[in-house]
Amino acid sequence: MNKLYLGAIVAAVLMLIATYVSFDFKHGSSDIVNQIAILGAVVLVIATIFVVVKYVRQMQTDTATGELMSDNWDGVGEYNNPVPTGWAIVFALTMIWGMWYYLIGYPVNAYSQIGEYNEDTKVFNDKFEKEYKNVTGDKLVEMGESVYLSNCIACHGLNADGIEGQASDLNVRLEKSVIKHAIINGSNNHLLGSEMPMPDRNGLMNANNNYAPITDAEIDLVSSYVANGMSGAGADVFAGTCAMCHGEDGKGLEATAPNIASFDAALVINVIDNGKKGAIGTMPKFDVLNKKQKEAVAAYVQSISK
Amino acid sequence: MFHWLEKNPFLFAVGVFLVIAFAGLITLLPSFAQASRPVIGTTPYSTLELAGRHVYIKNSCNACHSQLVRPFKSETDRYGDYSLSGEYAYDRPFLWGSKRTGPDLHRVGNYRTTKWHENHMMDPKALVPGSIMPGYKWMFTNLVDIDTAYAEQITIESFFGVPYNKPVPMKDGTTKIVKMGKTLNEANSLALAEAKLVAADMKNQNVKDMIAKGQIPEIVAIIAYMNSLK
Repeated sequence: MNKLYLGAIVAAVLMLIATYVSFDFKHGSSDIVNQIAILGAVVLVIATIFVVVKYVRQMQTDTATGELMSDNWDGVGEYNNPVPTGWAIVFALTMIWGMWYYLIGYPVNAYSQIGEYNEDTKVFNDKFEKEYKNVTGDKLVEMGESVYLSNCIACHGLNADGIEGQASDLNVRLEKSVIKHAIINGSNNHLLGSEMPMPDRNGLMNANNNYAPITDAEIDLVSSYVANGMSGAGADVFAGTCAMCHGEDGKGLEATAPNIASFDAALVINVIDNGKKGAIGTMPKFDVLNKKQKEAVAAYVQSISK
Repeated sequence: MFHWLEKNPFLFAVGVFLVIAFAGLITLLPSFAQASRPVIGTTPYSTLELAGRHVYIKNSCNACHSQLVRPFKSETDRYGDYSLSGEYAYDRPFLWGSKRTGPDLHRVGNYRTTKWHENHMMDPKALVPGSIMPGYKWMFTNLVDIDTAYAEQITIESFFGVPYNKPVPMKDGTTKIVKMGKTLNEANSLALAEAKLVAADMKNQNVKDMIAKGQIPEIVAIIAYMNSLK
């Protein structure tokens, strides 16, 4: 037995002892995972020693044979041996795979974040379309309420009262102060596709048809009339001054003036689409909502307003 | 054929580096440059908006609010279109943020108004009952630092070529010019003119009085900034 084998056995024994010492047999030996780990450690020690001994022996005994190639680098040369067959096959296959991966396989067109987003959105929209196509009545109101709670509540509030003047009170169609503001300052929201703005007080004739502008008293009277739900005193002023555009019943005329007697779907959807600027302030448009959601909000607003 | 290369290992290493570096540059740079170019409709910040941005940073708004709408259906439903890298072209630094304690603010200008911000910054719970955001009352009295904003404008205009006083293309095909003062006085008067427009939609009498005296409180600047986030 020569020195190499002796050294190998000593090293193996030392490593096994180190493994034994470092492993807590008292607590760990019952666990199957620990048993596998310790077995693996033993196998690893033996395999390492075996491989090292093999190659050291080979270095000691092997002699180089074969024909040298003509090149050499500072005395270091290469044998002109044939390429091992197995290696050559794998090499060729790797080249072919590499070409495939470079030209076809690389997932540059296979995935994009935006593409996934578009697909997700399409799937969702299709599903939404299918599921809620024929939603009407209470279901639509319920849907409108959920949209309201997620989008409108920040300004119009949980009770739809507009949080103390933050936004318009949706429980009523129009508050008196809002009506007065519109009559005095006019209104130019281009709702309902109309390009014709409502004129300010100088452009509104008074009810007596004598070509004089509307008076303060009349403004006050007609504002109360509209705010009271088209009832009480002031009907004559409304009929003389407002009815031409807003209709005799205040329900508005198509492409001319909006409904001021009650909320209707066309009006609510219009405001959601375009936003508006009025007595209370500016409402931004909410065009992230889809068509059905807008209809639903309109239904909900109609359901809560008196 | 290439033995002369193998005999000069240093030269060989330099050559390999150059080839790989060049390949990297021509694959990476064009798409990077394309993506970081301003998106049409993105405009530089005006003096007041930039001052508001400084207020935003000073109060660490970005610790709780992100400014990046990710391309997910749930996010675009809530905040609007997903963000594009070119939209941050004039943000130095960008304020993407990494944590959403509050909602994303990248498009807050689309769905909140001056008036709403005014009430909300004073007392968030009055508008959003469950909110954990504190009120920022001092913004209604603290004066905003226009000097620093103007200094930043000069720097980014001369160093990065940010197009102040030049037409910038907008989404509807028109162009818009964001003005920058030639002197500090001019910058101050431009900022004040813009602040007057914002304050016209506000209710707080103290703020209105300050504006009338030519002073700009922080709240006006930060609202101008948030309104510009679209």
